[in-house]
Amino acid sequence: MISWRENRPFDFILLVTTLALCVYGLLLIYSGSASTRGAASLLSGPVGRQAAFAIAGLGFCLLVSRMDYRFLASGSMGMYVGLIGALIFVLTVGTQIYGSKRWIDIAGTHVQPSEIGKLVIILVLAKFFSDNQENIKDIRVFVTSLVLASVPALLVFAEPDLGSASIFLLIWLGMAIMAGCDMRHILGSLGMVAALAPFALIAIVTDYQRERIQVFLDPARDALGSGYNVLQAEISIGSGGLFGKGYMHGSQTQLDYLRTQTTDYVFSIAGEELGFVGAMILFSLFILLCFRGLRAASMSQDVFGRLIAVGVVIFILFQAFINIGVNIRLFPVTGIPLPFVSQGGSSLITVFIAVGLLESVIVRQRQVSL
Amino acid sequence: MGFSTGRKPWRSEPFQEPSDEDRASKQKLFFFALAVIFLFGILTIQLARLQLVHGDKYRLRAETNRLRQEPVLPSRGLIYDKNGTPLVANRASYAAAVVAADVPDVDLSADPPACDEGCDQIAIALQELTGVPGGDIEAKILERAASNDPFTPAVIKGDLTEAQAFMLREKLAGLPGVRVIVEPERSYTQGATMGHILGFVGAINEDEYASLEASGYQLNDFVGKTGVELTYESILRGKAGVREVETDASGREIRILQEKPAVSGASLVLSIDLDLQKKVEELLRAAMGKSENAAAAVIDVHTGDVLAMVSLPTYDNNVFAIGGEANDRERVRLLTDPAKPMVDHAIAEMYAPGSTFKQVTGLAALQEGVANANTLITSYGYIQVEDEYTPGRKYTFKDWRSDLGTMNFYRGVAMSSDVYFYYLAGGYSEGGKDLFTGLGAAKLADWSRRFGLGSPTGIDLPGESAGIVPDPTWKEKQVGSVWTIGDTYNFGIGQGYLTTTPMQMLLVTAAVANGGDVLTPHVVKELRDSNGNTIKLARQTVKRNLNIDPRNLNVMREGMRQSVADGAAFTGASKNVVVGGKTGTAEFGPQHADGNYDSHGWFTGFAPFNDPQIAVVVYLQHGNGQGTAAPVASKIFDYYFRDKNLAQGATP
Repeated sequence: MISWRENRPFDFILLVTTLALCVYGLLLIYSGSASTRGAASLLSGPVGRQAAFAIAGLGFCLLVSRMDYRFLASGSMGMYVGLIGALIFVLTVGTQIYGSKRWIDIAGTHVQPSEIGKLVIILVLAKFFSDNQENIKDIRVFVTSLVLASVPALLVFAEPDLGSASIFLLIWLGMAIMAGCDMRHILGSLGMVAALAPFALIAIVTDYQRERIQVFLDPARDALGSGYNVLQAEISIGSGGLFGKGYMHGSQTQLDYLRTQTTDYVFSIAGEELGFVGAMILFSLFILLCFRGLRAASMSQDVFGRLIAVGVVIFILFQAFINIGVNIRLFPVTGIPLPFVSQGGSSLITVFIAVGLLESVIVRQRQVSL
Repeated sequence: MGFSTGRKPWRSEPFQEPSDEDRASKQKLFFFALAVIFLFGILTIQLARLQLVHGDKYRLRAETNRLRQEPVLPSRGLIYDKNGTPLVANRASYAAAVVAADVPDVDLSADPPACDEGCDQIAIALQELTGVPGGDIEAKILERAASNDPFTPAVIKGDLTEAQAFMLREKLAGLPGVRVIVEPERSYTQGATMGHILGFVGAINEDEYASLEASGYQLNDFVGKTGVELTYESILRGKAGVREVETDASGREIRILQEKPAVSGASLVLSIDLDLQKKVEELLRAAMGKSENAAAAVIDVHTGDVLAMVSLPTYDNNVFAIGGEANDRERVRLLTDPAKPMVDHAIAEMYAPGSTFKQVTGLAALQEGVANANTLITSYGYIQVEDEYTPGRKYTFKDWRSDLGTMNFYRGVAMSSDVYFYYLAGGYSEGGKDLFTGLGAAKLADWSRRFGLGSPTGIDLPGESAGIVPDPTWKEKQVGSVWTIGDTYNFGIGQGYLTTTPMQMLLVTAAVANGGDVLTPHVVKELRDSNGNTIKLARQTVKRNLNIDPRNLNVMREGMRQSVADGAAFTGASKNVVVGGKTGTAEFGPQHADGNYDSHGWFTGFAPFNDPQIAVVVYLQHGNGQGTAAPVASKIFDYYFRDKNLAQGATP
């Protein structure tokens, strides 16, 4: 038993947690779509598509886990340039859905480069910080890393996708702390952001974002537009109570009160049909996933691997935190998917690759130490 | 902490003191772990507040949730012919349906599940109104209530009359769960006459929904399936609106709170002239005889406006747009009929073009310097070539008549001499000596492609075929044998492997007539928005100019004039206008016992000769160019120019 572990340090608990989240998501998508289409056709519809993406994602995950993550270091700058190119491309000729341009059409499907971009940023920052460990306290290193993260964040912000832009910056923040940047610099920059935020909101934030923020503050203001979803999500989740109304029996879910209920509002289905208990199961899975990620970071023998693992954990943690927060009215509407659970191929494949990176770090730590 | 369980490499290396750096990063990881707990703690507290503290309040709100958001479907754009005659009308169709979840007194715990008092009353009332047996209605309600989809309305009876729908609506208040579903329906005024061009609209299917969902389509939406209904779907559809409605406890609409209105789709004005379309259909139908299918089209040689396009047999598109059992049967018949009524033979099927292709061979030969107007060639009724690989073995290529004699280019075209065009295409040699140099297969294929053959014309209709332009590489790959001189000969007279659609040949003739412009044809002339304003379509009418010397075009046109005046195509002449044209009788299939083949009949022509305005193509399966196809074209020209001169004279 022990020798088996010694030979194969692959983290099965992490993989099983990932798959459990995926199955949880498939069940919610099934319930959320059953009302709009005949149950029989679902397998060829959204559930089938999501399952296909999950299988593809699992394939990527295993592929990446077999790859030496240090190999990715050499290509990270190229990926970064590609990412910037793709984001500019989206802004200029991308497909517009629900009022924002985030998608590129490839072979008839919408691809969202900002999703995979979050992984690219993790790799680029990990490489940059590990290359500059010697003078990590230097303010120039700090500022350069901030610029690296800000360029894609601003491009994503312009789509407009405020949620993803904040994820980019949160990833940077977490990784800067982990890399050992001077805490004064970090706190100083955070202070600056806090001081400038009100002005930036007035000056930069587009009508679309301001509208979303206002709707968050007062949903009744636009009960027909985005306020409608905010209200309905709150009612759905609140009415779920301790044990929920039962799977496939949520009146809100089954009567389609919510638009995009299998994507950004998938948590509201869990809240209504599976209740507080169901939500706690979901939270536990996410917490376990994050802990396995931090375990990978602690096992890594090199800075590059440790930073990748921390970046991935922050990425998944905040995607989940913000998405659920929107559902239960802690945050304004932002359009961040719930990792592994929300319907959508780009996001699902991205988080699977992220788990693959964690596995790669875990598998490789042995080869480093021996 | 969870993350520190499992293998701990630092403990298995006891001799190495953990460095400050290691200790610092472990501290940070501990901090991150706390952050994870903290963030999910926040979520848990807020969730507990919503679900546990205020759960009852929200449950009440969910039960009395009166706000519903519904899409408002836009009204679909209409379609007119070029003179403004409406070709389609929007109607409503009504269906009686039941939302099982809202029906009272459904006892699913009983065995078998029972439809008690309130439920029973609904079944009885619906039986009275629709004539559907009450037992069937109860069965449907119970089945749906027990399924995992009790909220979607189950249709009890479709195609209610307006009176029935009205009566049912009046009684809705006493029938919880019952709905009257209104669905839009397209009614095509011309039926079969415009079937292929208009196409039809149908309920969105799984695949279409998957690709159109992002554009705002609903599951119960309708979408163009073929014809201009499909190609101009995005224009005809308009933009859906949203309506927020307040409903009662059983989900019935009480009043509209807010509405973002739908934007109606724009209408299409076709280039089709309905009167001409009807006339062409009538003439073609009369000429069909034993033909299984036939096609004819008329085009404006300058603008690419398709003025008429008929494919027979055709289908009544109302059969697909409107429900009902009789239409179900008719649909099956249409889809299985061997004559393929659903296929638009003018653009979707490809055939050997026969001698109509001599326009391409002839112009290529003139332009490449292979021949000029005075090139004399003698036809003895056939030519013979020696097999390139077996000396002494000879093949004979026949002309369609044995008495054609010596001809210049004009007579070669006018009499449609096959021998003349064998020479132009493949040349002629005797005893190893070249007596006449022809174009060769490569150049002929190249010219064919320049004329637009071998690729779709780009007409604004779905389902177009590309046709085949053969050349030595193509034959090697597709047929698996070597290209021979005989293949070049056959190619030169539009036989062999060459296939085209009638529309492609029409464009060849249009290019001859208009000075060498290969057109992109279209059946939609312009758009009209919902306020009646005309929107011009930005598009390219001319695909490319062939850059042919005008003198050479004149030679070809003159040959075609003579062909109709006193040549092989004399049956295409019109009493009202001077026509230039070319017949074709393309042989296909196996040879019969009497030495003959089955043949397709073709005619393409243009008029007036001096100032060409329109071009016409007629294709008849199992027909003959001179005998059946050209006479149809003749009558089309007669009709089109019936009082053109009068009309022109009347206006200053």
